[in-house]
Amino acid sequence: MERSFKKEVASLRLGEGDVFHGEGILAVTKALLQSGVSYVGGYQGSPISHLLDVLVDAQDILDELGIHLETCTTEAAAAAMLGASINYPLRGAATWKSVVGTNVASDALSNLSSAGVKGGAMIVIGEDYAEGASIIQERSHAFAMKSQMWLLDPRPDLAHIVDTVEKGFQLSEASNTPVMLELRIRACHLHGRFVCKDNRQPLFSRNHVLERPDFDYSRICLPPATYAQEKHKIEHRLPAALKFIAEQGLNEVFDGEREDVGIIVQGGLYNTAVRALAELGFADFYGRSQIPIYVMNVAYPILPDEVSAFCAGKKAVLVVEEGNPDYIEQAVNVALRRADLQTAVIGKAVLPMAGEYTGAVMLDGIARFLDTTGTDRAAPSRSAETLSGKAKAAAILGTELPTRPPSFCTGCPERPVFSAIKILEKEMGPSHIAADIGCHTFSTLPPFNLGNTVLGYGLGLASAAGVAPAMGKRVISVMGDGGFWHNGLTSGVAGNLFNKDDSILLVMNNGYASATGWQFLPSSRAHRRGPATGMSIERAVRGLGAPWLRKVRTYNVATMVKTLRAAMTTPVKGLKVIVADGECQLARQRRIRPQIAAKVKAGERVVRQRFGVDEDVCTGDHSCIRLSGCPSLTVKPTTDPLRRDPVAHVNNDCVGCGLCGEVSHAAALCPSFFRADIVQNPTWLDKRLHAVRKAVIGKLLGQVSA
Amino acid sequence: MDQPGRPITVLIAAMGGEGGGVLTAWLVEAATAAGLVVQSTSIPGVAQRTGATTYYVEIVPEPVAAGAPQPVLALYPTPGQVDLMVASELLEAGRAIRNGYVTPDRTTLVAATHRIYSIAEKSAMGDGRLDDGRIREAAGTMARQAVMADFAAAARESGSALNAVLLGAMAGSGRLPIPEDAFAGAIRAAGKAVDANLAGFARGAAVARGEWAGQQAEEMPAGPHPVPIFEDNLTALLEAVRDVAREALPRLVAYQDRAYAKLYLDRVESLRAVDAATAAETARHLALWMCYEDVIRVAYLKIHPDRAARIRREVRAKDHEPVHVSEFLKPGLEEVAAILPPALARPLLGWAEKNGRLDRWRFGMEVRTDRVSGFLKLWLLARLKPLRRKSHRYALEQSAIEVWLDAVRQGAAVDRRLAEEIVACARLLKGYGETHRRGHDNFGRIQDALIAPAIAGIIPPAEAADRIAGARNAALADPSADALARELEKAPPPALAAQ
Repeated sequence: MERSFKKEVASLRLGEGDVFHGEGILAVTKALLQSGVSYVGGYQGSPISHLLDVLVDAQDILDELGIHLETCTTEAAAAAMLGASINYPLRGAATWKSVVGTNVASDALSNLSSAGVKGGAMIVIGEDYAEGASIIQERSHAFAMKSQMWLLDPRPDLAHIVDTVEKGFQLSEASNTPVMLELRIRACHLHGRFVCKDNRQPLFSRNHVLERPDFDYSRICLPPATYAQEKHKIEHRLPAALKFIAEQGLNEVFDGEREDVGIIVQGGLYNTAVRALAELGFADFYGRSQIPIYVMNVAYPILPDEVSAFCAGKKAVLVVEEGNPDYIEQAVNVALRRADLQTAVIGKAVLPMAGEYTGAVMLDGIARFLDTTGTDRAAPSRSAETLSGKAKAAAILGTELPTRPPSFCTGCPERPVFSAIKILEKEMGPSHIAADIGCHTFSTLPPFNLGNTVLGYGLGLASAAGVAPAMGKRVISVMGDGGFWHNGLTSGVAGNLFNKDDSILLVMNNGYASATGWQFLPSSRAHRRGPATGMSIERAVRGLGAPWLRKVRTYNVATMVKTLRAAMTTPVKGLKVIVADGECQLARQRRIRPQIAAKVKAGERVVRQRFGVDEDVCTGDHSCIRLSGCPSLTVKPTTDPLRRDPVAHVNNDCVGCGLCGEVSHAAALCPSFFRADIVQNPTWLDKRLHAVRKAVIGKLLGQVSA
Repeated sequence: MDQPGRPITVLIAAMGGEGGGVLTAWLVEAATAAGLVVQSTSIPGVAQRTGATTYYVEIVPEPVAAGAPQPVLALYPTPGQVDLMVASELLEAGRAIRNGYVTPDRTTLVAATHRIYSIAEKSAMGDGRLDDGRIREAAGTMARQAVMADFAAAARESGSALNAVLLGAMAGSGRLPIPEDAFAGAIRAAGKAVDANLAGFARGAAVARGEWAGQQAEEMPAGPHPVPIFEDNLTALLEAVRDVAREALPRLVAYQDRAYAKLYLDRVESLRAVDAATAAETARHLALWMCYEDVIRVAYLKIHPDRAARIRREVRAKDHEPVHVSEFLKPGLEEVAAILPPALARPLLGWAEKNGRLDRWRFGMEVRTDRVSGFLKLWLLARLKPLRRKSHRYALEQSAIEVWLDAVRQGAAVDRRLAEEIVACARLLKGYGETHRRGHDNFGRIQDALIAPAIAGIIPPAEAADRIAGARNAALADPSADALARELEKAPPPALAAQ
């Protein structure tokens, strides 16, 4: 990690009565310390990366409290770590991006929840759903249901979230069940405040070790214990949980004067619902609503008694539940049916089954509920009026505006690899490309549009197994170093070699888990605590016996094209691995920029490189942009009065990575590009040489212009 | 409408890496310092420095006691309910308007008017840029108050970052219940590049209050005005054509010689029967075509006396800093053959094509034009100019030009639009190497399939004009030429249809 979280770390030290100001995910981190956890583990990913990032920088606090931090290599490893709470009264937490991380973790989660826990076990999941999400869109809710874990979905208010973390551990212990704390993207990035408590020393930890291991066959996941565990979940743990939730009042009822209707809302969506009510004139901005609201801060399990009590005497309730399937709406219906209540349950009938419940969606849905129930027939027209700006604007703006998809950063070392594939494609025709998860997934977007499938993190090569034999040409699989260590080494490389498949694997070795914020990996050049571990992708692949391995510096496009061509055409059967080597440019710049600035300031000779385009040589075809897509390679209006099309232009963000020159060479594009090496703090010799060159060239020019 | 506690809502649209997070943090800090309840959240996008990001802030403009009920603040902006919309770039402002976040009843729009082109806009083969005018018009209509200025330029001028200038503009817009010194305090409290950010803040506030009109457009030094030639011959030309010719003639002299410029003039004069607009456009394309890019031309441009200074300016080199300039040249057999006489070039190209060497044999070189040795190479190349008139490519280009001009003249005699479309096809001829070959091939295909049959009267003029335009747009839409092939297949080949 080339970033520092000093300021955030300071806020983890706050004590009783201090006011914390900061982001939601950092508040959760603080809440974990206040809850007395013995261990924390996880796998980075938006929107929860900060939890781990900040703890990595907070080693001294962790040492004082005796807390163990594990930066796990997969979510499965993080979930397995929670096994510490099965036999011992150790509180612990694991975190990851969901639903994908939960998918990866689910084997361990099933076993964990079957065995049950003694110490409180909490999984903090960043629910990466809707705007800003980078993964497939599914709910994590189903995992809680099928494994019998409790799903907390707190109202997005920092104090409430922190309280829910502490209550969550108690709930976990009271019901011997792991709990999941679900935070949506906006809640993770929510900036607010809460009043702190002191951090708590865990009962047992590095500093107070356990005396002896505990053996209890009933906690082993093997029959017949598993049969008993399954029954135990339903007969003991669930009732204990329901009792704790009811007694502690984890769910909230906000009363209102209207008695005939009500709203049941997932905790995380409460604020959005209240805002919509306020805009429709049914609430004020302090949350005082005319319509009673039942807030499910515990999204699973539902409490049938609470639901029935809330619905009794109402003709209709609105269930506000984001995503599909509509588990809560179904559960509410069942609860009312069993209680023989005739309250109408309206949910997905007025709100969309799929997609995010934004402010606009909520406004529209609640207005329709008010209309349907006869509460306010005019509500839909008011909401339509509020939302009418969009149509008016569309009428003026006409066609859709160009989108701005994410892409590789300026100077990214992965971009040249895809430029090389593009160049080779011209020569050999397109290949099937099994893409993977990571920054390199952006190859599937313009301008490259490379990559036919994405099956999951580290699964690029594994996903080629079925399609490769059916293709006339060798299939190229892509994997990042993140995916490689996550599981690609076993599911991909070992699987491929084991099956003697014929395939090509490109491993993007940029040295970090870059897409999630430059966390260190097993093969990183450094480690969060001291020197690097020395694990290497090359040695790992060699150790498994891959018959064909090349390491290529990514910026060297011509060599990359040659190497890819060789991999496509070599008679060697089996796995052909190309390690594409180039450090993440953002991380690199973050590291070297201060060093360079210091050198320049100290008067040392420093050469700054950047690229440029000769405007009068460029004819405005933009082939270079289609082979690069670098943010600093753009267009500008031509100053030539005879030309019309804009010309290529390199702006001042250029970091001089060299790709422009490499691509114009490898693709034989055009002679417009030049590289400028600016000599800062030139030596006497630099200046002298420069002066002589200028003089001689000036003489020659005198003749040419004559 | 204003109920107690109704928050002031602020939506900020930025791009990754522009400091939108810092801007939001300043705003939150300033509101807190002013004793107001504030909440922010964001969709920061991915770690990568591209892609759109948004930040949403709500500020309660009235005091809220600590023990009293707290306002419930939203995490989502709602269309029609945004008080202050901030966009760090014009297209993002357009997007915000398009998404309904700018409405006449309440939204103040603070938007930077510079453009950062999206990938679709900049990778187009011709000109894919969005028409800015529509966004400006929409902003004028949809915003209650629009504070739009080139804040990026203001940032450059004041030596600060765009986000600090935007914070100033937000403060200066008067829409926020926060005193200006609270913002300045927030910048100081953050403690990074404080002086520069304060300068940017002050500039942004001044621009928003209309106290700073901004400097004129960035120094864009126009090239030296061309020395006028053949002025006497120009008087006979129509005014629109004359302007183009005045620009073109000196360029043709530099490209080849006075006789070549005269050839241009003769060709332009042959367009006498063509209407003024079409003739001017033909004259423009003709000048570019006649100055086709060969290695001699490239060498000439690379050693042009004005170039070194232009590069120094562009890369922001300080006066005492030497700048080394490396050129990336990779001429192939085609480029070499282009300047050889036809008797040598034809067999060479024929052999290369047969043996697949056309693209294989390229001579990659990195030439340092700031060094005497490197400069000398290009200087010598530029001095091969006299060989050009006898070269293979010269002969090809001149005959193609004549065919095209002839089609323009004949087309104009039949239908004005047909002539316009034929003229515009010259736009396809650009680039180098493979790019040039593709454009040339596309032009040839349209010439054979549509232009020639149209001139021969096989396709009716109006239909031909439509189809030529369609084919040209298809050729410009797709580098693989598939779109053009599909377009040309839409109707049966005219020659067959006529039989």
